[in-house]
Amino acid sequence: MKKIYLHPLPIRIWHWINAVSFIVLFVTGLQIRYRDMLSLMKFRDAVDLHNIVGFILIFNFFIWLVYYIFSGRIRIYIPPLSVKKFITGCIRQARYYGYGILLGEENPHHSTPENKFNPMQQMAYLAIMVILIPMQLVSGLFLWDIKQFAGPINLAGGLKVVDSVHVVLFLFFLSFIFVHIYLATLGHTATAHIKAMFTGYEEIPEGHGR
Amino acid sequence: MFEDTEHKAGKGTLGLVILGPLFGLLYVCFLPLIALMTLLLALPELAVAKKAEIVDNAGACMSCHSSREFSKTFKNKEKMSVFVNADDFKGTVHAFLSCTDCHQKVSLNAHPGRSSYDSREAFLLAASAACRNCHSDTQLKAKPVHAFLTNKTNGPPCIDCHGSHSVKRSTAWKNTLSDNQYCLTCHSQKLTKTLGNGEKISLFIDPSPLKASVHGKHACTDCHTGFSRTSHPTRDFSDKRSRSFVIAEACKRCHLDKHNAVRESIHFKLISEGNSKAPVCTDCHGFHNVGPKATYETLSGVPCKGCHEEVFKRYQKSVHGMAKAKGHTGAPLCSSCHFAHEVKISAMNERIKTACLGCHKEAEAKHEKWLPNAGLHLSAVACSACHSPNTAKGIQLRLYDQNTDKPFTEEQAAKLLGSEYQAILQRISSHGGEGLESDELWDIVRKLNNKGTNAKVTFLGRMDVSNSAEAHQLALKKDAVRECEQCHTSESDFFKSVTVAVVKADGRLRNFKAKPEVLGSVFSMVSLKQFYVLGSTRLKALDWIGILMVFGGLSMPLAHIALRVLTSPIREAKRLNKMRKEGKR
Repeated sequence: MKKIYLHPLPIRIWHWINAVSFIVLFVTGLQIRYRDMLSLMKFRDAVDLHNIVGFILIFNFFIWLVYYIFSGRIRIYIPPLSVKKFITGCIRQARYYGYGILLGEENPHHSTPENKFNPMQQMAYLAIMVILIPMQLVSGLFLWDIKQFAGPINLAGGLKVVDSVHVVLFLFFLSFIFVHIYLATLGHTATAHIKAMFTGYEEIPEGHGR
Repeated sequence: MFEDTEHKAGKGTLGLVILGPLFGLLYVCFLPLIALMTLLLALPELAVAKKAEIVDNAGACMSCHSSREFSKTFKNKEKMSVFVNADDFKGTVHAFLSCTDCHQKVSLNAHPGRSSYDSREAFLLAASAACRNCHSDTQLKAKPVHAFLTNKTNGPPCIDCHGSHSVKRSTAWKNTLSDNQYCLTCHSQKLTKTLGNGEKISLFIDPSPLKASVHGKHACTDCHTGFSRTSHPTRDFSDKRSRSFVIAEACKRCHLDKHNAVRESIHFKLISEGNSKAPVCTDCHGFHNVGPKATYETLSGVPCKGCHEEVFKRYQKSVHGMAKAKGHTGAPLCSSCHFAHEVKISAMNERIKTACLGCHKEAEAKHEKWLPNAGLHLSAVACSACHSPNTAKGIQLRLYDQNTDKPFTEEQAAKLLGSEYQAILQRISSHGGEGLESDELWDIVRKLNNKGTNAKVTFLGRMDVSNSAEAHQLALKKDAVRECEQCHTSESDFFKSVTVAVVKADGRLRNFKAKPEVLGSVFSMVSLKQFYVLGSTRLKALDWIGILMVFGGLSMPLAHIALRVLTSPIREAKRLNKMRKEGKR
């Protein structure tokens, strides 16, 4: 069994702050939106908590951004520039999840610090980190003070549009979390990837890898 | 003398034969002479007698009426001196008349009983009737005042103005009166006038309230222009209301600033639309009893309650009304918020809000201490929505121009859409109890924005009290709404009643019911794009999308797990196979 240092400390901290924040935001967000069905906490507390954690998440996003840009590791999010290579990589990965894994085949992607994500992950995480998370943070920020951000809200098409974007992204992240957690259990053992997110070290069973 | 002569002649036939013709001759010849002489002697006396005839004829009357001691008591116990000043009478134009020319019911044989009249007034009226024996209607009607009075049954008796025994032309004494007293000569009488529609108005003026009023030093003619000692136009009003409208016009001569302010008011707007119930100056200020400003700034004197009784009752029970009743001079009254002359209605909500914040200057800062997004709350929620507890609440949707930051008025919409607007109105009105649908709101907004103007129109929601009268029952601070949950849930009463309020340029509202569903419809993304209440007006469509997405997110791992379980024998066989291979190796 060999170990590779896959998740540096700043990224682990970022990841777990994200994880906790997401859950808090899910719960408080549901409480704010479905006051008529849920009574987990007071509306006021839900809003306050949602706001505080929202700002934590904004700050957290910058940890990620600064770390990846200044370490130069942002590359791991960028899919191969060759379209052919990217598409074959995606098909190979999709075939693995849909077919190979069922037959006990080996994961065609082997994570290394320089090449952490398979092409499908690259595609998904790039969209999430560069488009969806910023959109969610910005729309949340606008909704936090709609009077101050009246101008940009108008540009975006009005309050209802901004709110709907925020809600649709919330629903996306909620559904994504299920898939994310499930995929995290598909390491060589069910907890291998999860452990790695704590320790930073991914265990690679002998015989695996190139 | 003749008796004696006849007596002597009867003593003897001779004497009769001789003396008879002699005396007959004497009688025939001397009688004219005697008569002529008597006449000649009496001539100077006759000349004097013509002048003294009244006194002579009145001798019997004056034997009593020249005394100041006698008086007459009427049935109502009123007393009147019966003294007649003969010297005064002799100087009048009526000096040639005898007592009975006027007092026709009186003669030496008939003198009406002391208590034959009910009152002094009744006596004077009866006595005045005598004037009309000589002064015909035609003669009287030549003067407008007389013309007016001769048609009256309750007009003042002639002698009120002209005197009785010392009869004068009224000008002889009226010209010595002050201007106001001149008018009051008649207008202190209980005169009435019947208007075109049969309504009766009193022409009686009580001088004391007029004197006590702020206009106490004014002459009648300052307001009643066109009237003077020489001019008294006859005006024919169809009814009391139209008379008030004309009379109130007088006020602007001095109070032009107030008149101009009133022209900006909802009251003036109503009048110009033909609503005769809307008030003019005199409805609030009275006619002759105009009080100082302070009069109208008390609970008892505020004129608004005359028409707005329901609102006033609620105001009285409010924190403001109670403070006013306790004597807090700073407590607001109607005009503090609605303005006294340029009366505005609450639809011009920014002005009303300014009015609230005008006194409660610290309100914004105080709300900021505990209320998140206080500024936002204050702009979308009417003060009364939270500060008038136990009132019916609702959402009011108003067209709003985002470019000008002002309400988009009915007039603007009508101008923009022309006949199409009327069609929309007709369709809206025909809904009856049903309420507007979300696509109809969307259609209105779409049409208004498609007309290629600079306006950027959308519906803006406002949380308000649904009954405007209830908005006045503002409570103590401790009773105001503080819990977020009162509004931030779709269960809140606010979201069960939705009204589309079309604002007119003057601030009046035309309300149309809308279905509560419009708040959460997909169409509201456009028509209500700027109105969103957390937890209350969520898009229902997103709920379903959410269920689908979460279900999708959950089902993917579940399906995969199921596939893995189903295919586990394959992997197991493969693993065993591999192990076997490795074993062989």
